[in-house]
Amino acid sequence: MSEAVRLERGYRLWLRCYPRSFRREHEDEMLAVLMAGAGKDRRRLQVAECVDLLIGAVVTRLRPRVPRAQRSVFTAVKLMYIGAMLELATAITLLATLSQVRSNVVTSDPGLTVAAWNAVVTAQIDPLLISAGVAVVLWLCMASAYGRGKRWPRIVFAMFFAATTWSLLTGLSRGSFVYAPTDLAMAAVLWLLELAVFVLIVRQALQKLAFARSRLARARTG
Amino acid sequence: MQEATFLILTALAAGSQHGYGIIADVAQISDGRVQLRAGTLYSALDRLRIDGLITVDREEIVENRLRRYYRLTPEGSAQLAAEAERVQSNAATALARLGPAGRVAG
Repeated sequence: MSEAVRLERGYRLWLRCYPRSFRREHEDEMLAVLMAGAGKDRRRLQVAECVDLLIGAVVTRLRPRVPRAQRSVFTAVKLMYIGAMLELATAITLLATLSQVRSNVVTSDPGLTVAAWNAVVTAQIDPLLISAGVAVVLWLCMASAYGRGKRWPRIVFAMFFAATTWSLLTGLSRGSFVYAPTDLAMAAVLWLLELAVFVLIVRQALQKLAFARSRLARARTG
Repeated sequence: MQEATFLILTALAAGSQHGYGIIADVAQISDGRVQLRAGTLYSALDRLRIDGLITVDREEIVENRLRRYYRLTPEGSAQLAAEAERVQSNAATALARLGPAGRVAG
């Protein structure tokens, strides 16, 4: 195998980090630019090139693929990524404050046994941690898909928002304000962020609807 | 507007160019200060194309490799002109406030 072929294979391997649709569009020309930049003497890939390709791939995957003029979509996607990070922070806060929650519960119920506490963890804390993990993945998937103009994140997000609202209200009704104030504060911040995303999604949908209606009206009159 | 984006649009202002041509032109425009790499360039080109500031002009096959030429759209030209005026205005203000002594010190 010649050095040039080996180099090209190396570049192709790094280009696999990019989304398939992007590769379909740009892989051949990027390869031509990379090979032209390497010249005839280069035998190996440079670390800086690989880092640049990796950063480019991450940016391409995360960035919304709609015109920047659609500000509400851009903002909603950014907030969704922040939501994923906040969700992770909420799960970490839940784990970090578990002993504090336990002592608060013991204060209000001195007769709490280890077995009873373990039952509380299994019934309430574990599902919360699992749902937080699922929510992080969901936030990321919704951000990526909504940024690519897909419709499904609107419906899924509405359901997600309803579930979070229900979870927050359930927590409040169980007295979480008393025994887990930090976790409740984090959940409230997350809920406010979701509310902002929900408003942006609805606004974008209404704008699209209004645009479609005006086009239809123009077509009828024209 | 980021400097790399500004320089890419500037490189295309004189006419259509392919990827490697843009990299070489940007290095020349910036006196070698900005060395674009393929990942950064195509990430920017993809963004500019989605925003409607550039478009594909034509494609060629040279030595069995694809060369895609890009050119500015009217909207791209307008945005570049607006940005250039903004930068020029800021620079003029800075130089005026510095006065002759400041320019010599710089």
